[in-house]
Amino acid sequence: MAGVSSRSLVSSLVRGAAIWAIPVLIITAITLTLVYRNTIYRGFDDPIESAVTSLIASADIDENDALRLNRVPLDPRYQRALSGRYWLIGYGETTGVITPITASRSLSNETVTLPVSAIEELTIKAGEAVHTVVKGPDENESLRVVARQVILPNMSRPVIVLAGADRRAAMKSVHRFGLIASSLLLILTGGLVIAVYTQVRVGLRPLFALRDKVADVREGRDARVDGDYPPEIAPLAKELNNLISHNKTIVERARTHVGNLAHALKTPIAVLQNEAQMGVQIPSQIVARQTAEMASQVDHHLRRARAAARGQEIGVVTDIDAVLDGMVRTLPRIYRDKAFDILRKGETALRFRGAKRDFEEMAGNLMDNAAKWTTDTVIVTTLLAEDDTQMLITVEDNGPGLAPESYAEALKRGARLDEATPGSGLGLAIVYELAEAYKGDLVLGKSALGGLKVTLTLPRAKD
Amino acid sequence: MRILIVEDDEDLSRQLKQMFKDAGYAVDVANDGEEGHYLGDTEPYDAVVLDLGLPSIDGVSVLQKWRADGKTFPVIILTARDQWSEKVAGFDAGADDYLTKPFHTEELMARLRALMRRASGHSTDTIEIGDLTVDNRAARAFVDGMAIKLTSHEFRLLSYMASHKGRVISRTELVEHIYDQDFDRDSNTIEVFVGRLRRKIGTDRIETVRGLGYRLIDPNGNVA
Repeated sequence: MAGVSSRSLVSSLVRGAAIWAIPVLIITAITLTLVYRNTIYRGFDDPIESAVTSLIASADIDENDALRLNRVPLDPRYQRALSGRYWLIGYGETTGVITPITASRSLSNETVTLPVSAIEELTIKAGEAVHTVVKGPDENESLRVVARQVILPNMSRPVIVLAGADRRAAMKSVHRFGLIASSLLLILTGGLVIAVYTQVRVGLRPLFALRDKVADVREGRDARVDGDYPPEIAPLAKELNNLISHNKTIVERARTHVGNLAHALKTPIAVLQNEAQMGVQIPSQIVARQTAEMASQVDHHLRRARAAARGQEIGVVTDIDAVLDGMVRTLPRIYRDKAFDILRKGETALRFRGAKRDFEEMAGNLMDNAAKWTTDTVIVTTLLAEDDTQMLITVEDNGPGLAPESYAEALKRGARLDEATPGSGLGLAIVYELAEAYKGDLVLGKSALGGLKVTLTLPRAKD
Repeated sequence: MRILIVEDDEDLSRQLKQMFKDAGYAVDVANDGEEGHYLGDTEPYDAVVLDLGLPSIDGVSVLQKWRADGKTFPVIILTARDQWSEKVAGFDAGADDYLTKPFHTEELMARLRALMRRASGHSTDTIEIGDLTVDNRAARAFVDGMAIKLTSHEFRLLSYMASHKGRVISRTELVEHIYDQDFDRDSNTIEVFVGRLRRKIGTDRIETVRGLGYRLIDPNGNVA
């Protein structure tokens, strides 16, 4: 069937869940880590910035034109050598090196080299804070630096005021957070997939149970697919039961037919055998009578067996034009001793929802009858019924027709399944029975041409 | 008149052969499609009885081949299947009539006679040439209302000439249409049969056209 994959339901449902869940979880992990890092770094930058601000505020130029700080930052880490907290005031060189004027003791007479781009940025955005990361005085130290270039009163050359802090601890914390977040989310993903898998297995359990039941039916351990099924599956179980009983009916009918035929043949066979035992020669009229009986039984039961399987074929569609045109070609050759016309009227390209053989049998018998009785014209008209799931096929001739009181007799079923009386008269009964099997109809009436008019109603296949 | 029966059931073909022989026809039998096709293609039959379900080549194909080769002899189809699609296919392939098994041999005979009659342009089974009457149905002939005793070969000869009355028929054509395949064809025997027939129905009814053949005429009336 179109649109339905033959892949395992379980695997495609689990796959679907995974395809959806894994990218979402990866994006979540990345976003969480980024948000955390930004928060950490912002918290990290704030004290450095305020240190720079207070350094600028406390800077003063004395009468000797020397720079002097009114108030030295208090944090004891500025006093301890290579503590990871530094401040520095000096002149920025174009190479990036800061020539110190004064610095925290923690720098232990080292200086800081800013990237050339940072020096340029400081010059452009004079007075504003510039953030950057540089190598610190300690080994492998990654220093977060906030710098501002300012011109202090009475000073001709701008100075750079900067403060820095070792950010390795903060980086480590961000890394650790990322790791923890990723592993937690990985566990969550695994759990989710397992949960979906379990849910699907459990959810499909009634379907697996149904499969086992069907296998039981096929292997004869059970006659029906019984049991309580959830509302989603119950209709399927019901349809299966219908199919099973339908199948059974057909098989039983076929069996009945074979039995009927066998029994019907036994009598003539017995008569012939008896005759053969009684004498050297069997009277030919007995052979003729008994074989005629056999022939009519075989004919009758073949038709019956065919009728039994009728209306049962699912999804079969017959193009009626081909069949009708074939009949229109053939009938004048069969009745070639008389001159008559078969005219087709009405709609074309109608399609019968049923087997071709059955349509041939119906249309063939009706048209054959008409051709048999007509002396001049047969008209075959195909129309859509008012209800557009059906179509009407009328066959009219100008023959003697039937008296209205014999209509019912002509359509009377020849024999039921359990009877064995052959004889079909006009063949109208066969057509009627067939039409009924397709939930159609056959109605007899008088034609404007003078003869019989039969109207056959049959299911139609829509485009 | 010469008939071909293409039928794979040996009992049925034997019965048909016997029946047609008794009715005064020369009969050939083929038991499969290939042989049937070959015979129909090479021998001039007056009618063919063709079964549809045949080994090697099916009946419809055999018929299509014959018609494609321009063979116009009338063909009646025999089949066990009574579906309309088969009838339509048979007629579309070029059949002239159709009979469903089981059938009565009289019906087959009557239909075949009707086909041959139509092919030679006669409207009844009885052909009259002056006061000579040939009854193809009963395989008998009468002169002036009196029955004449004829052997089956003599009747075949008369029947064929009657069907083509007034036309000059060559010796070869007579040989082809009154003897079946198994017969030892010595064309001199035709002269013997013509001689015997003349003695029985009257010498002047069969005219010898030198170098061409024979012609059945009404000595007292119009030839045409």
